[in-house]
Amino acid sequence: MNSEPNPSNRARELEPIAGSARAPVWLFVLVAMLGFLSMGFLDNHGGGFDPRVYRPYKSIDELGRDQPATRSRQRFIKGQVAFNTYCASCHMKTGLGNPGNRVPPLVHSEWVLAERPNRLIRIVLNGLQGPVKVDGKDFDSSSMIPWRDTLSDDEIIAQILTFIRGNAEWGHNASEISREQVDPIRAETRDRARQWTVDELLNVPEQ
Amino acid sequence: MNHGPLIFLGVFFALALSWFGLVFEPQLQLGNAQQATNVVNSAELYPQRRPGLAKQGLEVYRSLGCASCHSQQVGQTRRTYDVMLTDAGTNRADVARALLKVKTGASAVELEKALAGPMPLRILKDVTRAAADAAIEKLDPTGAKAEVKITPTGPDIARGWGKRRSVAEDFLFDQPVMLGSQRIGPDLADVGSRLPVAEWHLLHLYNPKIVEKKSVMPPYRFLFEKRKIGREPSPNALRLPGEFAPERDFEIIPTDQAKALVAYLISLRADTVIFETPMTVAVAASTNAPAVSTNAPVAAVTNAPAK
Repeated sequence: MNSEPNPSNRARELEPIAGSARAPVWLFVLVAMLGFLSMGFLDNHGGGFDPRVYRPYKSIDELGRDQPATRSRQRFIKGQVAFNTYCASCHMKTGLGNPGNRVPPLVHSEWVLAERPNRLIRIVLNGLQGPVKVDGKDFDSSSMIPWRDTLSDDEIIAQILTFIRGNAEWGHNASEISREQVDPIRAETRDRARQWTVDELLNVPEQ
Repeated sequence: MNHGPLIFLGVFFALALSWFGLVFEPQLQLGNAQQATNVVNSAELYPQRRPGLAKQGLEVYRSLGCASCHSQQVGQTRRTYDVMLTDAGTNRADVARALLKVKTGASAVELEKALAGPMPLRILKDVTRAAADAAIEKLDPTGAKAEVKITPTGPDIARGWGKRRSVAEDFLFDQPVMLGSQRIGPDLADVGSRLPVAEWHLLHLYNPKIVEKKSVMPPYRFLFEKRKIGREPSPNALRLPGEFAPERDFEIIPTDQAKALVAYLISLRADTVIFETPMTVAVAASTNAPAVSTNAPVAAVTNAPAK
């Protein structure tokens, strides 16, 4: 082995040095193609980066289409959610009301299950006060709040009523309520400021 | 090293890129996951926390290394759409005529006979979503009610390891998540719904061969205490079949660890239908009937055998 007299040369020898070479064009083309293909794959299989989308679904739309609910079932569920928000604090999630606080039950209530719902809709819009007989028992209703302004969307009222009328857990199976049934009654009773009493309600013809 | 900075940058970007892809992006997606409303039964939140004993059981599961032979993730490769007729309505002839259009190659006589039979009736099997929707649209005017039945499928589901795939929510309250990677034993993601009986699990832990002749799982006898029967036999004692029973005057009592582990195993249920994993649980006769929550114990109405 030759010994180098020059220390700087020696240092250069110990230190590995990378030369430079011209990168072949095909390498760039290959990388670009791979990048393009993988982006395409990500686009097709990434589920739009939505955390709710899992294999075998490819997009949130596809997943939404597969939700196993019919239209009326969806309205029923929305009604249940709204009921739990607005109504359940007095009428309870069980619909049994709170007799201690003079809140009548909804379960088996002839007002709820009436074939023609126009009185029921009036109760929700303007509230109810005074003595009322529900399911054979007398209640002195402690002034139900008028929901006209809080629930300004007729569709929500229709959904809630659909839920309380059709809730099979309560043994109910009455017809659905549509927004078209709530609309005219809201307009008709627009000027009413007071809550309903049972006598007044009974004067309203069932439609 | 004349290209030191360049090599450093190259390594830095390669590592940073995988950190973004494997750690940061999943954290953005799922880091704030919360209990959410279950689609099928909107009054319930999913997932529910495990009961306290089951939570202790998770620690036992971890300490015994169960995850080195058992995974807890069910995969799903595709889903099938069937069209089920839930209510034939009153005008059978009309329905049969509509069905003939939907189901090519069926004979009118056969259809009429099937319509008189029990509901729900499967009209179409494994069709595309569009075809299923079209079929329902054609049946709608006749007064018949039909539904699309969605069934997740895949090798794991075919083995009966679950009814649907596992999703991130299933593990929301588990710390750590015992996903496992090896499948020397069966997947346990949904073991609580296929084997809900605590006694079965206790016997199986004491000696797997009692309940599974071909099992390769080691017995976990140290989770049980063998002791002399006192004045009266303990009600907790395992009821072991003859060849496995201890000698006279002795009984096998599960320790707290065994009980916790079994509580954990039974709490492993991933069969609630949530938004991420649509499937048809029960074909309800009336659209307003409440769908039966699959969180309910054993009697839950699932059409599992069909899957």
